[in-house]
Amino acid sequence: MKKYLIFDAGPLINFSMNGILDLLEKLKEEFNGEFIITKEVKKEVIDRPKTIPRFKLGALRLEELYNRGVFKLADLNENEVNELRKIRENLMNSANSMFKTKKRNVHLIDNGEAAALALSQIMKRKINSRENIPLVVDERTTRMLCENPEKLKKLMEKKLHTNIQADSSIYKLFKGFKIIRSTELAYIAHKRNLLNLKDSKLFGATIYGLKFKGCSISEKEAATYGRL
Amino acid sequence: MKERRHILNILVKTKSALDKKDYIKIKNLSDQVIHHASIHQDGDVISVAVLIYALSKIIERENYKAEKNWAEFYSGFRKNIMDMIVALKNKNEKKFRNEVENNRKLIGGLSGKLKIYIGDVFNRAKINKASRIYEHGISIEKTAKMLGISLWELSEYSGQTGIGNVSLSVTMNLNDRIKIAEEIFKK
Repeated sequence: MKKYLIFDAGPLINFSMNGILDLLEKLKEEFNGEFIITKEVKKEVIDRPKTIPRFKLGALRLEELYNRGVFKLADLNENEVNELRKIRENLMNSANSMFKTKKRNVHLIDNGEAAALALSQIMKRKINSRENIPLVVDERTTRMLCENPEKLKKLMEKKLHTNIQADSSIYKLFKGFKIIRSTELAYIAHKRNLLNLKDSKLFGATIYGLKFKGCSISEKEAATYGRL
Repeated sequence: MKERRHILNILVKTKSALDKKDYIKIKNLSDQVIHHASIHQDGDVISVAVLIYALSKIIERENYKAEKNWAEFYSGFRKNIMDMIVALKNKNEKKFRNEVENNRKLIGGLSGKLKIYIGDVFNRAKINKASRIYEHGISIEKTAKMLGISLWELSEYSGQTGIGNVSLSVTMNLNDRIKIAEEIFKK
């Protein structure tokens, strides 16, 4: 069975900003499958930043990998694209009506995040897999939504200083997604000697580099990685 | 406008803090707006949050005040806020939005170093407020779109805050997540 790994925008941006895009290519060889993205992610990591001088270099580097097929748009036929849109809308509307304050729903996620989750389900069907296709996601909200929406609710109540009513019947829609972060990719690269530098502190430094460019990982987790 | 009373209340307090040059109070007021902005995700509330935070930064820094056009700019900014208050008191949303637009024009019309300084303050204010909204639990993409900034600048900025360190953010034991990664890359 063909293997796939879906990338959200964050990890690609993070690898680019840390100057470690070569690792993606090596990881793809190790993975022995396809790294895939949605149209929304391509727009965020290549098309849009190419027009912003500050991020143009990072975007051009990513574009080069994209042109060489290191990561690519998911190969979907028209029916699958339509299906993806439907699932995306359903996931987005569900996530955005899951939590309510006294007066209104709190909108949690946007098109790109919902599309990545929808693609995971579409690809599962396409290759007749028993499980959703795994995702690489650095941002916190989508990960929490899938892994522990109750914790996300508590976090929001604490930060917003208000009570939130949750429609817990929606939680099940977000169950079953396997999520790793850019830091777990770095861990695999480290374990398989792909980092290519002799300094023993390099792996720990990579983890912190990823943390400081947006990977949602706690200090404790980063320190634990540093000791591995 | 959904949040007229809240915005009005904040702007009145901002004007009073501005008279006392109390930039810490102004910064706190901008944080209060962010709680509302996270829930309501209303463009007007977000504009006001950015504007107030930028204002606190502008009056905090003495070096801007030596710049040519400073006095004109600052009095224009104050007038802008007072006009927003009057518009909201009169429930005139169109006039309020015109004033938000006038504030943008005021900054766009600056020249020399002050244009660079103030433009930079506003851009940073947008990123700061976006990071706060993301911290409140709204996704990074949703937040970036609300503030009209790129995911790249928001990822970079939010990575340097303590967002990932909040214990509630940890949803899985690290060893379990490593196992998932190893399973994904199993040969």
